[in-house]
Amino acid sequence: MAYEVSIFLENKIGHFERITHILKENNINIRSMALNNTSNGWGILDLLVNSPEKAYNALADKGVSVALREIIALEMKDVTGGLDDLLLKVSKANVNFDNAYGRIIQENKAAILVIDVQDVEDSKKKLQEAGIQMLDDKNVYGIE
Amino acid sequence: MYWEKNYETLSKNELTDLQIDRFNTTLKYAAQSSFYGNLLQKLGISPGDISDIRQIQDFPFTTKQDLRNNFPYGFLTLPKKELIRLHSSSGTTGNPTVIFHNRHDIDSWANLMARSLYCAGIRETDVFQNICGYGLFTGGLGFQYGIEKLGALSIPAGAGNSLRQIKLMQDYGTTVAHAIPSYLGRLHEVFEMHGLTPQKDTLLRTLVIGAEPHTEEQRKRIEDLFGVKAYNSFGLSEMNGPGVAFECIYQNGLHIWEDAYYVEIVDPDTLQPLPDGEYGELVMTTLNRQAMPLIRYRTRDITRIIPGKCKCGRTHRRIDRITGRTDDMFIIKGCNIFPMQIEGILLKIPEVGSNYLINLETINDVDEMVVSVEVKKEWFKGDIHKLDLLTKQITSMIRDEVLAKPIVKLVEMGSLPQQEGKAVRVLDNRKNGI
Repeated sequence: MAYEVSIFLENKIGHFERITHILKENNINIRSMALNNTSNGWGILDLLVNSPEKAYNALADKGVSVALREIIALEMKDVTGGLDDLLLKVSKANVNFDNAYGRIIQENKAAILVIDVQDVEDSKKKLQEAGIQMLDDKNVYGIE
Repeated sequence: MYWEKNYETLSKNELTDLQIDRFNTTLKYAAQSSFYGNLLQKLGISPGDISDIRQIQDFPFTTKQDLRNNFPYGFLTLPKKELIRLHSSSGTTGNPTVIFHNRHDIDSWANLMARSLYCAGIRETDVFQNICGYGLFTGGLGFQYGIEKLGALSIPAGAGNSLRQIKLMQDYGTTVAHAIPSYLGRLHEVFEMHGLTPQKDTLLRTLVIGAEPHTEEQRKRIEDLFGVKAYNSFGLSEMNGPGVAFECIYQNGLHIWEDAYYVEIVDPDTLQPLPDGEYGELVMTTLNRQAMPLIRYRTRDITRIIPGKCKCGRTHRRIDRITGRTDDMFIIKGCNIFPMQIEGILLKIPEVGSNYLINLETINDVDEMVVSVEVKKEWFKGDIHKLDLLTKQITSMIRDEVLAKPIVKLVEMGSLPQQEGKAVRVLDNRKNGI
């Protein structure tokens, strides 16, 4: 199972940097990220890191509102239309997601799409039934 | 020139005699309530004993807490079948403040209200739009009865829906409107949005503004925006509601109706009476209320008596604008709010911490109450929907409690200043403009 690190963040100067600083001090590498701002003055920062549990503990120790969230990671080709091909399959599998972000694994060859869904188990089942390959944590976070 | 010349222009001696007479009558009623009945016994004072109005200072103060502690009937002097109305504060935390009225009280209140409107130059030929919440809030019905007593055509428009307010003004030729000052900026914006100006497109000539402290600059700005004269209205539900004190056409302080209220200004620390001209807490005694008289009620409002006579010829003294409070109550969107009410709501919500901060801010010309609360770390699961839902839930719970809709801001745990000793819960950054 793969996880992202979700952080509650006020939209204020320095708050994001405080998070990245804690990660830097703990030797944690960020592979990918998504920052969702709301109109209410706060947002949620989703980070894909090389060591989610370590990141979670480091941040929680510093009093950050942080959670580990299970994600679904899907492989796609790093070519024109690669994302479109994948999304066509995902929509045919009838899976909706709230938030998504990607990262390249091998230039011009492989990339992954991380999706954040309401019901992980249900979505996994649907994707499996549709024959869509889901990646394990090793592939998601990358090799150390 | 006067609604009731015989009352409004009484000489000092005549007024004092009337006050003594009315205070003795007030005591007769008060003695029938359990709260004041016990007090009179303790003090050894009987109705009719008062021969010098200064004897009022032998009585202890009555506070909001006394009203709450003796909720609901401890101050009531009459059997329930004689009552015809009650007005009550909002809220579910603790006991509300409730005031009961019999027919005499409602009539007398309506008369004071009509007198107030008359002294601001409003006449039976006017069309009066009351842009104010009806219901338990006294601004709606208080004005309504006064307008009817005066004989003007009343439009009980209620609060909000600016476009409809403008349409009412145009359809029926509104000449006078009553609203809270902070709403009028918003209303003017809507005029502009539709390419209208109050000066050209309405017959509006007078505004009555009250229920919210405001400055002289704010009044001037309202007068300029609407091309009208704006008169300051003062009242509080414990003293009926609106119609306690009102500006006359000279706009130089608010005549406080001394045939209906005995007025003292006291030092908030020593609680000793202060001479005219000095700022202190306004303390009031009802002199013409039967169902629920109050003696030396601490209003918590800070003002002063303006020394000297008014050009209008009324002998009732004038109070100045309210400059502040001696407690932590604040007023926004015309609603009286205590930080404790907000705190009470937040304590019921397990997802947030007990630390909170209320910022009063002017956003797009509208005064807003921004409530910041800390989200508990253990509750955070990274779900944006849940946080949105929580925001909505807190917003509606606070709104139900205080009647004003807040802007709820979720903040990180530990980001609000830690409160030590006397906590600062309210920061007022409102601009003085509207």
